[in-house]
Amino acid sequence: MFRYIAHRLLVMIPTLLAVSAIVFIIIQLPPGDYLETLIAEMQSRGEAVDLGQIEALRRAYGLDKPPIEQYFSWLFGLFQGDFGWSFEHNRPVSELIGERVLLTFIVTFSTILFIWVVSFAIGTYVATRQYSLADNVATFVGYLGLATPNFLLALILMYLANQWFDLSIGGIMDDKFRNQPWSFAKFGSVLQHLWIPVIVIGTSGTAGMIRRLRANLLDELQKQYVVTARAKGLHPRKVLWKYPLRVSLNPFIADIGSILPDVISGSAIVAVVLNLDITGRMLLDALRSQDMFLAGSFLMMLSLFVVIGTLLSDLALAALDPRIRFSGGATR
Amino acid sequence: MSIRQKLIDSCLATALILALAATGSVAAQSGEPPLLAALVKSGGLPPMMQRLPEQPRVVEVDSIGRHGGDLRISMARSKDTRMMTVYGYARLVGYDRSYNLVSDILQSFDIEDARIFTLYLRKGHKWSDGRPFTTEDFRYWWEDVANNPELAPLGPPAFMRAGGQLPTVEIIDEYTVRYTWQQPNPFFLPQLAAARPPFIYRPAHYLKQFHAAYADKAALERAVKERRMRSWAALHNASDNMYNFDNPDLPTLQPWFNTIRPPQQQFVFVRNPYFHRVDPQGQQLPYIDRVLMNIADTKLIPAKAAAGETDLQARYIFMSHYPFLKRAEVKKNFKILLWNTARGSKVALYPNLHHKDPVWRKLFRDVRFRRALSLATDRDEINQVIFFGLAQPSNNTVLPQSPLFREELQTAWAEFDPDQAEELLDELGLDKRDKDGVRLLPDGRRVEIVIETSGEDTEQVDVLELLRDTWLDVGIKIFTRPSQRQVFRNRIFSGETMMAVWFGVDNGIVSADMSPAEFAPTRQVQYQWPKWGQYFETGGKAGQDIDMPAPRELFELYGRWQTARSTEERTKIWRRILDIHADQVFTIGIVCCTKQPIVVTNRLKNVPREGVYAWNPGAYFGVYLPDTFYFTDAGN
Amino acid sequence: MSDDRNEEDADKPAPHFVSREPFDPDDDVALTPEQEKFYMASQWRLMWWKLRRHRVAVAAGIFLILLYLIAIFAEVVAPYELQHRDTRALFVPPQAIHLFHEGKFIGPFTYRYKSRFDLENAQWVHTPDTTKVDRIRFLCSGGYRGAEYEFWGLFKGNFHLFCPAGKRGTVFLLGTDRLGRDVFSRIVHGSRISLSIGLIGIVLSFVLGIAIGGVAGFYGGWVDNIIQRLIEVLKSFPRLPLWMALSAALPIKWPPIMIYFGITLILAFLDWPGLARAVRSKLLALREEDFAIAANLMGASTKRIIGRHLVPSFASHLIASASLAIPEMILGETALSFLGLGLRPPITSWGVLLNEAQNIQVVALYPWLMAPMIPVILTVLAFNFLGDGLRDAADPYT
Repeated sequence: MFRYIAHRLLVMIPTLLAVSAIVFIIIQLPPGDYLETLIAEMQSRGEAVDLGQIEALRRAYGLDKPPIEQYFSWLFGLFQGDFGWSFEHNRPVSELIGERVLLTFIVTFSTILFIWVVSFAIGTYVATRQYSLADNVATFVGYLGLATPNFLLALILMYLANQWFDLSIGGIMDDKFRNQPWSFAKFGSVLQHLWIPVIVIGTSGTAGMIRRLRANLLDELQKQYVVTARAKGLHPRKVLWKYPLRVSLNPFIADIGSILPDVISGSAIVAVVLNLDITGRMLLDALRSQDMFLAGSFLMMLSLFVVIGTLLSDLALAALDPRIRFSGGATR
Repeated sequence: MSIRQKLIDSCLATALILALAATGSVAAQSGEPPLLAALVKSGGLPPMMQRLPEQPRVVEVDSIGRHGGDLRISMARSKDTRMMTVYGYARLVGYDRSYNLVSDILQSFDIEDARIFTLYLRKGHKWSDGRPFTTEDFRYWWEDVANNPELAPLGPPAFMRAGGQLPTVEIIDEYTVRYTWQQPNPFFLPQLAAARPPFIYRPAHYLKQFHAAYADKAALERAVKERRMRSWAALHNASDNMYNFDNPDLPTLQPWFNTIRPPQQQFVFVRNPYFHRVDPQGQQLPYIDRVLMNIADTKLIPAKAAAGETDLQARYIFMSHYPFLKRAEVKKNFKILLWNTARGSKVALYPNLHHKDPVWRKLFRDVRFRRALSLATDRDEINQVIFFGLAQPSNNTVLPQSPLFREELQTAWAEFDPDQAEELLDELGLDKRDKDGVRLLPDGRRVEIVIETSGEDTEQVDVLELLRDTWLDVGIKIFTRPSQRQVFRNRIFSGETMMAVWFGVDNGIVSADMSPAEFAPTRQVQYQWPKWGQYFETGGKAGQDIDMPAPRELFELYGRWQTARSTEERTKIWRRILDIHADQVFTIGIVCCTKQPIVVTNRLKNVPREGVYAWNPGAYFGVYLPDTFYFTDAGN
Repeated sequence: MSDDRNEEDADKPAPHFVSREPFDPDDDVALTPEQEKFYMASQWRLMWWKLRRHRVAVAAGIFLILLYLIAIFAEVVAPYELQHRDTRALFVPPQAIHLFHEGKFIGPFTYRYKSRFDLENAQWVHTPDTTKVDRIRFLCSGGYRGAEYEFWGLFKGNFHLFCPAGKRGTVFLLGTDRLGRDVFSRIVHGSRISLSIGLIGIVLSFVLGIAIGGVAGFYGGWVDNIIQRLIEVLKSFPRLPLWMALSAALPIKWPPIMIYFGITLILAFLDWPGLARAVRSKLLALREEDFAIAANLMGASTKRIIGRHLVPSFASHLIASASLAIPEMILGETALSFLGLGLRPPITSWGVLLNEAQNIQVVALYPWLMAPMIPVILTVLAFNFLGDGLRDAADPYT
């Protein structure tokens, strides 16, 4: 077990390094840099552009150094917890990201919880009623969630919620709770706003989960021991719960790694539409204005989420399933 | 504890305080805002009479208001905190509602010979942190900032030059400062009254801690390291932006100041206890205690307004949102005002006179071609379809509200006359057409114009859609190419673009005393002749010199305007400039006089029913003095 | 020979009957014609039969074929040409198709509508005029504005599946937008781009996935290791943010067609790892198979072994995963165009149409502008059902 953990952790490091390199390359792809965007903006607002000051800024931000040097200085900074400087907001990136990490985590966690609960319920229900009407309907509904474009659904739900429930437009909480310390009322407001993004993002993820759970459960239910148990007169529910379900839980844990990127990317787009305080909007703006450290750090953080999530799921799987432990870390 | 922190705490205490009628009524009698009453009582703040300058500015109001309330507005980005400087509109001199210059922060000013400006500050005027506002703040800026080689490597900004010369700045006494130029400087005062004013003063007492000449070396170095700046100059520059409101510690003279460091989703602007204006009854302005600025996506802001989540909203609201907002008007207790706008034309086309293809360049420079394009434009249809028929078909020129307006300016070459357009095009030698009806250039290529957009405004794209058909009828094919702001501009500047679509002139409500810079080749961002504008901006170092007679005349007229000594002279110059534009059709305007919807809650008073929503002059709400707006239920 | 025979009979044939008639050694295991078809059938045949039994998948397949036909013949199916707009028809709600007029059956028709501008609300109000009947014509050509088109930009035509009646009639099945363009026609025209992006993206993804995965699986060793790491890295990227980043990097100077290909490339960029991984694991298993070793021994080149022998063995799985990846790409293009990062007008795709519909006014006042959502959902559903069926059928021997 220990070897397994150590092995996975070690593998994580070069993965993250490669991710950081790719992220940096992508950020640098568009021609020009942040200051050019700034100049364009200032000019379009009719402000006089002081070219000398821009030069000074360029030197101050280190944008006149070659990209390789910029990359390594950023990387070293990362190790020290210094995520670089955001030009657009004139603050250290760590301050900006920090505020949003908590909320991203809340949304992601809630969504995954939602996916689990829903797919578990539906998956077990239909596995025991294969090919019935309920089965087809559930599959259909699951696919429907997968097929609907998230952003439009988010917009529609937000509008309806505002019309029917008087929910305030957008945001993760009512405006009056912003900048206030946490309280029950504030928490309640967050919960009220949370269900839209969770449903919107979650519905895409449930389809796959339901399918997998159903397939696994069906496989298990064909096995000999289940038939025997049934033949021996064990209560059907006990037959279902005691063994097959536990075995088919594996993909649940295991698949966090695959639904996590989808949840996170889904949350990015929903965040833009619903104006949530999480990553999406800020990332989009940072990419557009080439605020490279901010954008790069955001992407790194998101990838880190995914990698850690995958790691945790692999570990959980290893803990849950002795076969994996003993076979030395075979992949799913 | 800083003043600001005390203020924030007192916001919470206000609820209790205001419940006590006694305190409320006492505060109302003395003109002291109730929000500050508790602080004054406890000695944390001096009483109102000591906070105001000896002679505060008395502002006329439509109705006397009451202190209190939180004004909710929505913006789209953290950077929009700067809008509070625009809305606050505390300026050395400002425009009033009729666009006359009046002294605001200044007690008064003298102009001699149009080139010597003496400014008199108000005695006892203080910054928002209570420290005195004196000419030291002007001196600090001029000597230690604008002329400091590290803070301003290129020297003082361009607006401080008249005829290329810098002024002599004399500090006469604590409250008097004089700027003397060799040549007349007609820009100086209008600049000071601009929506985005140059700040020729800084809070010296605050900024000196960041200045190498004044600060303790070790402390300064530590501060530089902490903020991860490269030098003290960078730190100073980052901390002294008077416009942006991105530094909550920076003292200001505006009616409200920001208490939250960006970026955030909500900014809280609290009243400035040392604000220099009062109403006719002696109550200190602003009436409203706080402004809550919520940051939301541009697409959501109309939704928020319709849901009643804003109290005063104009920015990011467009006419296309009107039907949607109208439905919620009654239920959510707000009104939609329709103010006029000041743009010469809401949408305008800019044929690029520097286009690199010589055949096309010649064509664009031929006035008959431009006139033909303008004649082939069905402005009525565009008005009907896109602007609900509420705008006026027009050239890109001055608006009816301007004293310089004449009807010919608006209608010259602007009637929809495809036959005349075809005649002109035939005259130009483009009479051959191919099998699709598209005209052919002399060298056989089709007359196809690629019009580029910045990709941000659907109205512009829609206008092009409508143009497509009518221009095709006269044999000209259009291709639209959406782009992105930066690339869009760079391509125009370099002459790669054939034609661009953008807004018309910023300010169409001009009087003779306002600068005609927008109508002459003076800036690179004038999309029809960027290179000539660049030539002027860079003093001849980049760009091209003007090589067409009509723009050359425009430029000379502009020069004469600057040195003109009387309003009559300036009026004559303006007329000539506008006539040239009407005749030459350098830009093709579409419609003018579009309306700007303003969503105002019914609880807010003193917001004029009709007004002009313009950037400069006007500062959007600025000239209407939002500090005089008040809530009917304030103090409850 | 049995032992209880007499010695004098030793050289006589044994007393059992052997027929001299010709006979079939496999007689007792003879195959009926159906069975013979089954056992002798090729892999593809078997797949097809198994698929056929999955009725939903077949229905989905037919639907998709229909959809792609519509995309190919978009100009014919849509009553109005792509750019056509009607100034008097702004924000018209979907027109109802009636069959009975005043009690009589006269075939499908629409009522002409009267338009007026409500100044108070700054809105257009269109009311159907029940006296004017506009019969819908079928298999018609021309006779109204917007009928003329250039088929695939090649030759002119004006033949349509169905048209409005005469000059003043209109048939706005899904209403019109802010410029008076027919939503249904735009959806049909937009299908060409949206549906093809998925296909082209899949082709690109296939090429990359098979090539890289094939190399990894076939050679193994350190090549395999590196490629596996690369796959892992790419898989840990959250898809949309990476698409956003790549789209922001697309040079705006590119003409629309290049942007289109750029977008497909971007979409494929994050898709091939999954494919490569599947290819690799299959190859690792299959290359130990006898037929692969045999081919190797016979001197076949690596390319031939991979291409001719190994890949076809699991081609069925590839097809199944392709059909599940296409909807991902369609949704991806929709999302990118929605964010303003993908295709933009004047290109028309479902994503672009949805971008124009993505604001609260539309949801509240003009909900029919969200109609492009329906074909997106249906297409994705169809692909998923088909993919499920294909996957089930992909292992015909189990």
